Order: sequence, then C-alpha cells, then structure tokens
Amino acid sequence: MIRHLAGKVGGALVSLLFVVALGFLLFRVIPGDPVVAMTRGRPVTGDQLAELRARLGVDKPLTEQFVDYLAAAVRGDFGTSYVYSRPVLELIGERLWPTVLLTGTSTVLAVVIGLWLGIRGAWRRGSRSDRISTGLALAQWAMPTFWLGMLLSLATGDLFPSGGMRYPDTPPDFLSQSLDVAHHMVLPCLTMIAVVYAQYLLVMRSSLLEEMHADYLTTARAKGLRDDLVRRRHAVPNALLPTVTLVFLHLGLVVSGAITVETVFSWPGLGLLTYEALTGPDLPLLQGTFVVLAGAVITMNVFADLLYRVLDPRVRAS
Amino acid sequence: MTAIAWQRRRAAAGATWREFASQRGGLVGLVGLAVITLLALLAPWVTDASGLDVTRVTARPWEPPSSTYWLGTDHNGRSVLLLTWWGTRISLVVGLAATVLSVLIGTVVGIAAAHFGGWVSAVLMRFTDFFLVLPSLVLAIALSTVLPRGLGTIVLAIGVTAWPATARLVRAQTLAVEARPFIERARALGGGHGHVIGRHVLPAVLPLVFVNTTLTVASAIVAESTLSFLGLGDPTRVSWGSLLHAANMHGAVSQRAWWFLVPPGLGVVCVVLAFTLCGRALETVLNPRLKGER
Amino acid sequence: MSGLLELRDLSVHYRSARGEVTAVRSVSLGLESGQTLGLAGESGCGKSTVAMSVLRLLPRTARVEGQVLLDGEDVQGMTWGRLRAVRWAAASVVFQGAMHALNPVHRVGEQIAEPMRLHGVSGSVSALLDQVELPARAARAYPHELSGGQKQRVMIAMALACEPRLVIADEPTTALDVVVQAQVLAVLKRLVTERGIGLVMISHDLSVLASTCDRLAVMRHGQVVEEGPARQVIASPTHPHTQALAAAFPTVGDPASRHVTPSEVAPDGPVLLRAEGVRVDFGATRAVAGVDLEVRQGEIVALVGQSGSGKTTLARTLLGLQKPTAGRVLFEGRELPRSASGLRAYRRQVQLVLQDPTSALNPRHSVYEAVAEGLRIHRVQGDEAARVAEALSQAELRPPELFFPSLPHELSGGQRQRVVIAGALALGPRLLVADEPVASLDASVRGEILALLLRLRRELDLAALVITHDLGLAWTIADRVAVMYRGELVEQGTVEQVLLSPRHDYTRTLLAAVPHDQRSTRPNWTSSP
Repeated sequence: MIRHLAGKVGGALVSLLFVVALGFLLFRVIPGDPVVAMTRGRPVTGDQLAELRARLGVDKPLTEQFVDYLAAAVRGDFGTSYVYSRPVLELIGERLWPTVLLTGTSTVLAVVIGLWLGIRGAWRRGSRSDRISTGLALAQWAMPTFWLGMLLSLATGDLFPSGGMRYPDTPPDFLSQSLDVAHHMVLPCLTMIAVVYAQYLLVMRSSLLEEMHADYLTTARAKGLRDDLVRRRHAVPNALLPTVTLVFLHLGLVVSGAITVETVFSWPGLGLLTYEALTGPDLPLLQGTFVVLAGAVITMNVFADLLYRVLDPRVRAS
Repeated sequence: MTAIAWQRRRAAAGATWREFASQRGGLVGLVGLAVITLLALLAPWVTDASGLDVTRVTARPWEPPSSTYWLGTDHNGRSVLLLTWWGTRISLVVGLAATVLSVLIGTVVGIAAAHFGGWVSAVLMRFTDFFLVLPSLVLAIALSTVLPRGLGTIVLAIGVTAWPATARLVRAQTLAVEARPFIERARALGGGHGHVIGRHVLPAVLPLVFVNTTLTVASAIVAESTLSFLGLGDPTRVSWGSLLHAANMHGAVSQRAWWFLVPPGLGVVCVVLAFTLCGRALETVLNPRLKGER
Repeated sequence: MSGLLELRDLSVHYRSARGEVTAVRSVSLGLESGQTLGLAGESGCGKSTVAMSVLRLLPRTARVEGQVLLDGEDVQGMTWGRLRAVRWAAASVVFQGAMHALNPVHRVGEQIAEPMRLHGVSGSVSALLDQVELPARAARAYPHELSGGQKQRVMIAMALACEPRLVIADEPTTALDVVVQAQVLAVLKRLVTERGIGLVMISHDLSVLASTCDRLAVMRHGQVVEEGPARQVIASPTHPHTQALAAAFPTVGDPASRHVTPSEVAPDGPVLLRAEGVRVDFGATRAVAGVDLEVRQGEIVALVGQSGSGKTTLARTLLGLQKPTAGRVLFEGRELPRSASGLRAYRRQVQLVLQDPTSALNPRHSVYEAVAEGLRIHRVQGDEAARVAEALSQAELRPPELFFPSLPHELSGGQRQRVVIAGALALGPRLLVADEPVASLDASVRGEILALLLRLRRELDLAALVITHDLGLAWTIADRVAVMYRGELVEQGTVEQVLLSPRHDYTRTLLAAVPHDQRSTRPNWTSSP
C-alpha cells in the first residue's frame, strides 16, 4: 500500500513536471519572440526591445530559459501578467475560491442526481421513465454548456442576476453576503449541473447494466433476498466502483464547463481569468491558469485512484 | 475464393444494416445526418452567399423574425437563417477533420501500445494516460491561442487533444484480441507482426474504431463551437460557435434576441445528437452484450 | 410416495427472437433424503435449466410446464414470500463457477452469514468453514484471495448455511484440478452421509458422477434418455449416448480403453525433438526448471501435469514461441534457429493444436482462410485450394469444398478442432504439439478426435506431444508419458510403466485423485496420497 502510494505520488509529480514543461513549450517555444507580441502596434526602438528581452530573460538560449523557468515554477513564480501587471500567482489565488465554490457545488449535485437517475434507469431498463431520462441526458450531453447558460439567462429574465458574484451594495454581514452569492450562483450552477450530470447518469446506468448479468446476483436471489436488497447490497455497490474512477476522469469536463460558464455569467473565477488571458492574449497569465487547471485535475485523479484502492478490495490486495 | 469472401462480407454488411435499421434512435440519427449534410452541401447553390458580407446588408440590425427574415437578423443586419445555414459547413468540416486526425493518432498509438509490449508499450501508455487526464479544452485553448488563427489551427487543436480516449479503447480491444488463442495459433503458423496486426487485430478493432469515430465527431463539434465561442475560431469564416460568440459579445441576451441565440445552438445539438444516436446504435449492433438494453 | 424432490413432467421453454426453444422436455425425476442423484449430459442438454427451475431462478424469458415438488409442495404455485422463505432454507445451490458466483467485493464470511441472518437461522460461520475443511480465518478473505478449490468449498459452506434438506450442485468440480476435485467430492460425499441431505449432482463428467451418486440420469436434448442405479448405468449402458459418454472417460489400467497397440510403438526411431536442460524464468518465478525430454519420429508422448505445473510454458518453448532462460531445444539434432526467418522455417515442421478450437479460430475467417493462413504466411507455391482441400480431407472433413465458406460458429466443436488440425497439416509438419486437444470438447466427440490423431500418426508418421491434465487421455493414446510437477519432470517412461507402476509420489497422488467407478478392477499400484 505504502509502495503503491509512493508510486502514485511519484507518477503524479512526473505528470505535473510534464505539465509545467508543456507550458513552456506552448507559451515560450511555439509563439516565438514574446517581445514582438507584447509591443505589437507600438513604436519601439531597438534598444527598448533589447532591454525588454533582457528583463524577461528571453535573450538567453532556450535551454537556459527552460532551467530558469523551471526554477521559478518550483518557487511558484509564473511571471507577471501583461494586462494586470501583477504576479500571475496572486491573480490565480484571488480567483481560485469562486471556481472551487461553483464547480464543487455543481459537481456534488450532478453526481448525486446522475447516479440516482442512472441506478433507477438501469433497474427499470426499457421503461418509460428510463427512456425519457436517458433521452434527456443524451440531449443535454449534446448541448454546448455556454449555449444552455445563455438560454437559461434569456428565459429567466430578471429573476436572477445575469453576471458577477455579488452586488456592490449588499450589506457586509455574512448572511446577506452568502445569500447574495447564492443568488448569483443559481444560474451558473444549474447550467453546469445540467450538462455534467448526463455523463454520470449514462456511466452509472451502463455500469449497473453490466453488473446485472453477474452470476453472484443469481446467488443472492437464490439465498432468498428481496429484489431491492439484491440491488442495494450487491449490484449497486459493485457498479459504483468503476463509476468512481469515471467521475474523476471526467473532471476535465467540469473544468471545461467552468471556463465557458464563468465566461457567460462573468463569474470571477479561474475560468473567466482564462478567458481574459486568451483574449489578450496575456501569455504568462494563460500559462499560469493552464498549469494550475491541469495540475488540479491530475492531483484529483491521484486522489481518485487512492480512493478506489480503499473502496475496492480486489485492487487493494494486488 | 475471393468471390466467396466478398459474398460473405456483403451478407454480413446486410445483416449489420438490418440490425441497425431496427433501432429507431439510430435511424433517426442517420436521417438527420443525411438531411444536414445535404443542406450543407447545397448551401452555395440554393442560397446567396453575398448575404454573409457585412458591407452589403440591407436589413436593420436585431430585426425579429419576419416573413423576409424567417429567423430575424444579427447585430449587423445579416439574416440569421443564412448565417446558421452556412455555419453548418464549417462546423461539419472542422468536426470531421479533427475526428479523422484524432482517431488516426488514437488507433496507431493504441495498437502499438498493446501489440509491441515492453518499454514501447509502457512509454506510450504513460503518455496516453497523461493526456487522458489533462483537461482537453484547456490544452486546446492554449494551442489555438499561441498558433495563428485559422481552420487548420482549430482542427489541430481539437485533433491532438481528443485522441487519448480512442487510444485507450483501441488498446483495450487490441489486448483483448491478442489474448485470444487464434493469435497464438497465427504466431505458431509463423506469422509476424504485420500478419498478426493486418489479418487479425485490425479487422477486429476497426468496427469499434468506427463507432468511436461517430461519437468523437459529436464531441469534436462541441469542442469547435466552444473554441469559436471563446473567440479562438477562424475570424474570416462563419461557424455556429462564432455566431454564438458574436451573440454573446454584442449582448444578444440583454437585447432579448432569442432568434440569434437559438438557431446556431440548436444546430449543434441536432448534429451532435444525430452522431451520438448513430454511434450508440452502431455500438449496440457491434457489441451484442448491449443488445436490448438501450 | 412424495420424496424430498420430485419433478413431474417438467418442461421449460425459452422465448427468443426465433420463437420458442424447448430446453427441457417432460423430465420426471425423484430424490429421497440421504441420496445422491446424478444428472449427466453434455453442454446445452438442459441439465442446468433443470437445476435452476427447482428454485425458480430461471430468467423471465422462460416458461415452465409441469410440477416441481419440494417436500410435496409445488414451487411453481408458491407466492413470492413463500418462495423467498424456501430459497436456501429448504434447498440451496452450489453454483457452477464459484469465481463468478461469489460477490467479489464482500468478505466470504459475510456472504456465508447473509442467508443465515436473512432466514433467522443461528449458526457459526467458522463451524461451517470447518465442515468444508477450511480454517476459520478464511471468513475474512475476499473471493479473489482464495484458490479455485477454496472458493468451491466456500460455496458449499454457504449452501449448508441454513441447513437445507436439499443441495443442488451444478458442475461443482469443473475447472478444478484432479487432486482438488477429489477433495471437493470427498467433502460432498461426507456431508450427504453425515447430515442425511439430498444431493443433486450435475456434471458432464460421468466419472465424477460414478464415484459419488446412487442414481444417475443421463440427459440429451432436454430429455432423460437413461435412468437407473449409477453402478448399472455405467457398467452396462443401454442408450448409445450413454455408451459414448462412458467411453469418453477411460479408466486407467483398463485394456479396453487403451487404443494403442504395442506393435505401433517404435522405440528406436530417430529422435525428432529434444529438450536439454530447458529452464524458463518469468522474473523471479521459475516456470520450467531444467527439463530433458525427447520425442521420436511417429511417437505420441503425453506431458501430464496439473495447471501451473509449467507444461504449457514448456510447450511454447519447444515451439520457439518462448525463449528458454537456459538449456536448448534441438530439432533433428540442430538447435532451434534464433532469427525470425529461421524460426519461421522451423514452424513448418512443428505445429500447434490449441485447447479450445472455438477461440483458436478467428471468428471472422472462413474455414478456407483459416486453413490457408499458414500457406500464405509461408508463401507456399502451387495450388492453394488443392492443398487446403487435401488438409481438410486428412482431418476427415469431407467433402472439403463443402466446408470452404463456413465460418467457425457454423461448425460443431469437433469440426472446429478438425479445422485447427487441418490448418496445421496443410504445412506438412513432422510434429504436432497439442495442448489439451480434447479438454473443451463434448465427451462424445473426444474419441473421434483422438482416433484422428492416432490415424494421422499411422498414415503420415506424424509425431505428437500431447499436453494434458487427464491421465485417462494419456492412457488412451500415448506411447510414453512424462509427468511434470512444479516445473520439473518427476517421472517419464512408457505408459504402462508410469501409469501402472508409478514410482514417484506425485504420480501416485494424481492417479489416486482420478474418480473411480466400478467397471474394472484397480490396477496394482498402492495408493498413498
């Protein structure tokens, strides 16, 4: 177990390093000279360009730049945003919590709704309610998140605020602030749930259907268990196991959803920050959000793997 | 002998088709796809492309649907119906091209990772797993930000981020096929890598790849619309995503201009749903274990 | 008289896309407490359907006619509540394949205790485990932590949990090694005598039933074709199907089941294949630990051992599919080539016949393609169709042209194995390596395939190395036997030497574990397992 843990954490660290290196490749190597991009459309002299290059460290050979970059990344230094003229990490720190709040709430709700509907659908497969819920899930899965967000916003009119996280004139006490944030969060949260729960529903449903052919369910029935006990004690727990991994594997989807939903609803989180960075384009900022978002998903996957080990005795032993 | 082989293949294809046609969802999807593809192909002949040019518009901006403009006009006064119609072309082309790229990479990596074993497989698997957990949209955004805007970029950005799922699927299937004793028999008969892959692995993996392709097209089209919505599409061309981008930028929501919002999004939903329905129906035909359960 | 279990005119039909299929046709059987009833038959004969109908466990597509009386009460007429109360408490099942019949993520102790809690029966899990000769700590294990035999015992302990008066055991020993099989059968037999339960034992293996049952019913195509006291049914079968089944499980030492005449054996023919000190390691595990073995021209050698003894690895090494860690393999005195092209040429001489013909043939390839595959790989010149036809007729698939376009699933198991053999013969090999060539075939066709191997040896002077766990098979067709145990050959010699007067303890254990019936007198070896 300890060795496995060490192996997993080691593997994750290598992946993280790979993400950081990919960030360098994407934002330093492919775009070419960042100084040209920064000064595009402005009259600058050759001396000014050279000075800017020296300040950014891009006059050195690529290998040396990479080493500097790695060293800085380890210290948590991802450079300074062109647009905000502030350290990238500081900006990310400010925007982290709104995203965690939004994605956390909607993921938990989506998982609960998706799994519950998935179990129901599989157990009564072919029934009207199963066909309707599966069909609806497929349709929602086909919807671009941002479009659904815009439609919801259009349909609800003035019922909910269409953007931001709080009104400026809300009283500063905790209760009013929380209610205000919750009010702002309704639409973005609904949008994300609507698109994400469909995945979980389909995965849980097919996983349970697969499990329902298992011989040990016949054993359970032969023992005299009632049908709902067969389902509750044997089929569902076993079908849940593969679903756990898939829930985490689909976290990338949640991140994608966060980017577009935050853009549509101007929710001041990492997604909106990414959007602001790509419209600039503010490459250091985009690099920062890229590394943080990718790193977060990788870390969550390590947790998923460890969780799976705890839950499934078959993997635990090997 | 080839005559017999062909006859059998035709019979098999016929049986597959009959089974596919017996599923209502798949048939609906297929008909939908045929209609949409036909519309996309016919656009240059049936419609007047000059209506897409902002400098030659005659209508007022934000006009609600009327008998002249069935779906109203956008912020520039162009017909939303015309824009959506032409948007079909780019969305389909990008979706298909990106899928071909991604499925190609995924299949090659998947088969190689399963067939050769040893360190080749270990490296390829590690590589695949890394890209599998990496949020693909974030990577696609990064790629299309740093590369020059254009159709090629967006195809590349989606293609090189969508392959890991295919690779994993193909790898699993290849491993399953190679564990079957007939591979051992082929080796004992003296068959090499080329023979085993060409005669046994590929024919067994391809149906699955085909199903996966239909499902990948669906997600590639969503990805295209997302990237275009974020303003990363080809600025010179109209796609569903870029229409929604424009709608968002110019405040279609606050204008209550539902006619500009609904059609492009509905286009995405229809195409994606059609591909998904086809893919699931095919999956059911080719994977007998799923029969009667969807 | 109403017994413990009585089937009256039981028929079961399955609804399918092609209409109704009848799986069981008017079966009437009875069983008293303290008795064992054997139900024999090949796969698909309906014997498992009979078992499942007793507790009404058939799928929804099944339609049942007739009566199933448990202690005089008709199972078909029970309410759901009554049925649930009867399940496991009055009758329980030892399911086929304990691997899948146990919930993989629950501890086995919980699974044994579950019906006890449910039916309000008091008892202790450790006492139950003790009855099946498992330590009490096994209760804390998960199924995957136990061996096949241990899982099967857990299933038996679970079946006994509510002290039912009837136990139905569906292929309880299939997939187990002979030694483990003997142990599991002993446990079942002891429980019947000690507890006076009624046992229905279902198997395809007549020798298993012969050693455990009082009465025997033989099923075919859903019908009982022969029924009577076990001893009588086996000793003097009247129905031809029973005769075929009985013949398929030969008794070691019985001259009637030995198909090799001593004159056929040529003890001084030239040596075709020789292994010298072959060792194969997989990481730290030693699969084959230094083996010396010879196969002469026209000779049939049986390599006997339990699963995990390394016999399949040895075979793969002899075929050049696996590189030996140490030692060497010689074919006609020359060491096996190491280059890819050299190995390919070698493979024309030595061909492989695999255990399960269903999976050894690519389901997408026609018979013609399957047989021609080797010819195409080796780019053999000449008339391909003629060679394929010749190979098929050598494998007794006549007329060959009729089989050309067939796909494997259109053929019977025996025909498929003939196609595999034809595919090997097409290249004109000198030696066949056959890995359990009949283990997955139905009993009645085993004899045909073995006869084919013997005929090929006689007509083509083909040598064969037959890998098997079945001593009866070795007795039937082999000239010499090599016994493999934990990667080593512990004993080898002529069939008569090894099987009739074994010298090594392990060989004796193997022989003792073979189920015995009462057809023949025991050979004169001392059983000391």
